[in-house]
Amino acid sequence: MTALMINGLVNGIIVGGLYALLGLSLSLLYGVLRVVNFAHGELVIAGSYVAYVLFSTFGLSPLAALPLAAISFFIVGWGAYFVLIPRLSKSDDPEAASFLLMYGFSIAMAALLLLIFEADSRSIDYSFDPISIPIGPVNVSTARLVALAVTAVVSAAMAWFLFRTLPGKALRAATMNREAIQIVGVNIERLSAFAFALTFGIAGVTGVLIALVFPAFGPFSGAEYTIIGFIVIVLGGLGNPMGALIAGIFYGIAEQMATVFLAQALAQIVGFGMLVVTILVRPTGLFGFRVLR
Amino acid sequence: MTVLNHTLSQQDREQGDRIFWRLAATLGVIVTTYFALVPYFGLNIAFHFYMMMWITMATAFNISSGFSGYMPFGYVAFYGIGAFTTAILVKKLGWSVIAAVPMAGVAGVILSLLFAPTLRLSGIYFAIVSLALAAICRLIIANLPEEWTGGSFGLQLGSRAEPLNAFFLMMGVMLLAIASVLWMSRSRLGKALKAVRDDPEAASMMGVNIGWVRLKGWMLAAFFPALCGGVEAWYTNVVDTETAFNTLVTTKTVIYAVAGGLGTVTGPIVGAIAMSWLDELVWRRFPLVNLLILGVAVMALVLFLPRGIVGSVLRARPRWRRFIP
Repeated sequence: MTALMINGLVNGIIVGGLYALLGLSLSLLYGVLRVVNFAHGELVIAGSYVAYVLFSTFGLSPLAALPLAAISFFIVGWGAYFVLIPRLSKSDDPEAASFLLMYGFSIAMAALLLLIFEADSRSIDYSFDPISIPIGPVNVSTARLVALAVTAVVSAAMAWFLFRTLPGKALRAATMNREAIQIVGVNIERLSAFAFALTFGIAGVTGVLIALVFPAFGPFSGAEYTIIGFIVIVLGGLGNPMGALIAGIFYGIAEQMATVFLAQALAQIVGFGMLVVTILVRPTGLFGFRVLR
Repeated sequence: MTVLNHTLSQQDREQGDRIFWRLAATLGVIVTTYFALVPYFGLNIAFHFYMMMWITMATAFNISSGFSGYMPFGYVAFYGIGAFTTAILVKKLGWSVIAAVPMAGVAGVILSLLFAPTLRLSGIYFAIVSLALAAICRLIIANLPEEWTGGSFGLQLGSRAEPLNAFFLMMGVMLLAIASVLWMSRSRLGKALKAVRDDPEAASMMGVNIGWVRLKGWMLAAFFPALCGGVEAWYTNVVDTETAFNTLVTTKTVIYAVAGGLGTVTGPIVGAIAMSWLDELVWRRFPLVNLLILGVAVMALVLFLPRGIVGSVLRARPRWRRFIP
């Protein structure tokens, strides 16, 4: 293995971790609420801007921004749930309506970011000490490794939450059967609001990490992350959070390796092509068990 | 008694049909006269050109989303391919625009055949894959050799700009699109599409060839945006990947169609007219918050008017359904 390939692999795992977080939250939301969050990318970018503002005005390190972004986004998400989601059930086709609703939300969010921060792309010049750490023959920036560590912690926490705690089990149960879980006495409204707010919180964290890993972000970079999130959840199987985690890392590695061997533009096609082929060949996702439908 | 009932309902239906076609004809005459007179009264040609384009786009989108139940979120792919087909035929092969625009439609239909395997997906899967396919189209065209697509500068059609002729061609395309949907809504195909959308198995039992019916609807839905792309290329005289594959084209098409109401013929027309005006007024008075208002408008539509303008009226007056196109 050449240094270039190791570099691709390491970056793939780091970037893939972020994609996994995107997929995890989209998947959770779709599973529990049947809401297709088209605005997730914009939320993530809003998280990046939170880190940016905290750093540039208060000098707070992005690590300190993490919990602040997570908590504030969680609260906003809790409120947004009650404004946006309950009315959807009155529509003829709630799934398509949710897609359109969040489509509008994403346009509004991007426009709002544009109004506040203008069209220039921003970046955070926060640097860790030392700036990079050698791994084998390649140097990896500390910021990226920190991001990877945070991703791992968040993913592990989510896995523990979903599989070991009662609310987490309730969320998974709601994914499997929304009606039955109400019979055993779960307040579905509160659970749904919680799921919605939780994905907002994860979006905030993802945004801060994206500001660390990627060189720059602008008001309109959100759509790109939304699409990547969609690719990841489809690869991992819709509504299957653990599948989304694995698929995210898989997709990140594939994308970064493709940039090693192919031209930049072709590498992008590889990602989209993977999605199309997967959907036509294995509509249940790479890991094949049909959770839904 | 039953015989009497039967004749009554027969009469009823004939009367409904008569009102339907009269309303449709009146609508057609009003729309045609209005747009035909725009250049002579010195009204804003650009504004009305784009209004006609959005009416066409929303109407064609309605064939796919309203009648067939597929939400192609990569609808811009057909528009873009139409624009590039026209530009390449005119600029590189020296065709006349009038000959090139129909070929743009053909290119759109060919692309829809390439995308046809995705029709076996449904709901959200279809929407996501459609989005990805549009992105692939844009990337492929952006990476074609520069002597064909003009690279990042795009293609200029040169001295072929004739905005007024393009305006009337757009009008022809719009009337063709409206006529097609009007015919479809009353035809066997339209009924079969709606039956397949609501219950594919039952439709299949009744002898509807599901795959073929869906494919026909899909080709029709792809034909018109490709024409729009071609005519718009002629009107603006320039085509490049950024504008021809701009996702805002999909966004506006979806919003306008939903605003009017999917599944009715008049819905997308009313929606496109109303929203074009709204867009224009907002744009003129508050250019900065235009996009924000667009986004909030979509959310408000979904939350408070999920069936669109015409759809809500029909829900309040179900009896009108018989004769409102």
